[in-house]
Amino acid sequence: MISLDPLEQRFLAHVRGGAEFPRAWCAQGRVDSDIGLSIYANAYSARLCEALESDHPVLAAYLGDALWAEFCSGYIGAHPSRVRSLRHFGAQVPSWLAQQKSFADYPAIAELAAFERALLDVFDSADGGRGDWSELQSLDPAAWPGLRLKFHPSVRLLPTTTNAVEIWRALKDTQSPPAAGASSVPARLLWRDRERISRFRPVEADELVALRSLLSEQRNFADSCEQLAVTRAADEVPALALGFLRQWLDEGIISQLDIASDGAPAPR
Amino acid sequence: MIECVDSARASTPEARASGVRPWHGYGLGLRTEHFDAVLNEKPDVDWFEIISENFMVAGGKPRHYLDEIRARYPLAMHGVSLSIGSTDPLDLDYLHELKQLARQVEPIWISDHLCWTGNGGINSHDLLPLPYTEEAIAHVVSRIGEVQDFLGREILIENVSTYVSFANAEMEEAAFLSEIARRSGCRILLDVNNIYVSSRNHGFDADAYVAVLPAEKIWQIHLAGHSDYGDYVIDTHDHPVRDEVWALYARTLERIGQVTTMIERDDHIPALAELVAELDHARRIGESVLQPARAACA
Repeated sequence: MISLDPLEQRFLAHVRGGAEFPRAWCAQGRVDSDIGLSIYANAYSARLCEALESDHPVLAAYLGDALWAEFCSGYIGAHPSRVRSLRHFGAQVPSWLAQQKSFADYPAIAELAAFERALLDVFDSADGGRGDWSELQSLDPAAWPGLRLKFHPSVRLLPTTTNAVEIWRALKDTQSPPAAGASSVPARLLWRDRERISRFRPVEADELVALRSLLSEQRNFADSCEQLAVTRAADEVPALALGFLRQWLDEGIISQLDIASDGAPAPR
Repeated sequence: MIECVDSARASTPEARASGVRPWHGYGLGLRTEHFDAVLNEKPDVDWFEIISENFMVAGGKPRHYLDEIRARYPLAMHGVSLSIGSTDPLDLDYLHELKQLARQVEPIWISDHLCWTGNGGINSHDLLPLPYTEEAIAHVVSRIGEVQDFLGREILIENVSTYVSFANAEMEEAAFLSEIARRSGCRILLDVNNIYVSSRNHGFDADAYVAVLPAEKIWQIHLAGHSDYGDYVIDTHDHPVRDEVWALYARTLERIGQVTTMIERDDHIPALAELVAELDHARRIGESVLQPARAACA
């Protein structure tokens, strides 16, 4: 008699990819076992495709039915789910698209997917505090060089080389998307605001330098100013950096202002 | 027919320990589409059932609405990832998250399905059928015991719709479910629609199925819609509850007495008011079936 483990292995292999499941292992009920097995197999691919479309509705619209089906089939085959929640099933979609020749020749596709995944992450990332301008004003000016910023957990900095976000916006508005091309800005910043609304905006080159330093590398304010001074005149940097701080605090993307004394990156 | 205790008494440790079936009234599955309507319309729903995994996220709107709705309604936690019948090891990370969520939600109970969802680390995200064998009973009972020990509470296990049954079966599904509930101490979440669907697909008598079950173990009933393709039926949760399932529900209550009941809708989700009206139908059936019995006892 067949035991539980091989039965499950063979059944799942059949459901996933049509590997043979011995018909002798099935009881003949009112519904033919071929039909019964096909119900499970159809549901498997349909459910995963539905999850991908739920996460990437604009990507699906951009690719069109035939390419979308090709993408789903390829991704589901390459990345069988090892996660408990469908919420995370598509986590490798951007990197997978970037590596597949048929899609990688059009880098806007992978960037469009990355943008949609970043929006998902922004939506349900952890909650956090919101620092404000008065906190910054209350700091001793002598402590400013050591200032480190703890950004809100929802903040995502997304490098962009293509006009994927413009394509996303057009399709979201049910307009014809622009032809694929280069991005007008080097990055996008995404976050969830105080009313739990997901926001995004372009990031220009100077702000990207500051964000990479303070957000990605968790460096202090003095280091960030030094980075800005590589491309900017030294006397321009304080006002520039202060302007960024003011904007970030107003947007609510800074959770906490930390004065670190040891020079080590503050934990996020 | 067995006696129920009301929800206030049911929440006491004494009531849970007594094994007397608690009564929480009539509930709905809480769906994202209805978050605002639940808060704004304050529907006449006794409780909501959440899909546990949907709230195993760090923050944002899902957790915000969960807190707001929990402040107004009792919640049950219904999971789809326990994979109690899988031969893979139990997912301890999942159990930790489930326990953490339960601490925050303080649910009336926690439930999942009598099925397996994956093997070899691969998740099908479907509720796959088990063979009704002694081996499977021993396996599932052992794992339910581990889960209940970990969570520090009994769980409810739900019968699923099935489309395939296995030649090595040593018993019928109802006996399989009953034996697991008896040996593990878990309760039963009886999905009346699933009984109907499986009875059509496998050709068994749905009423006989209910008659076999230990009535005192049945703590909750699920109702849902299905798609009827003539030769077979699929559990789709995208329609209102069908007449044949309402009829089976009424006969089930006649047999086992008052049971906390809810309606699931997962696709083609209508306005909340429409589901509340459908839930009122369940109330009316419950009252019509049970009032004569109460009158007879008076």
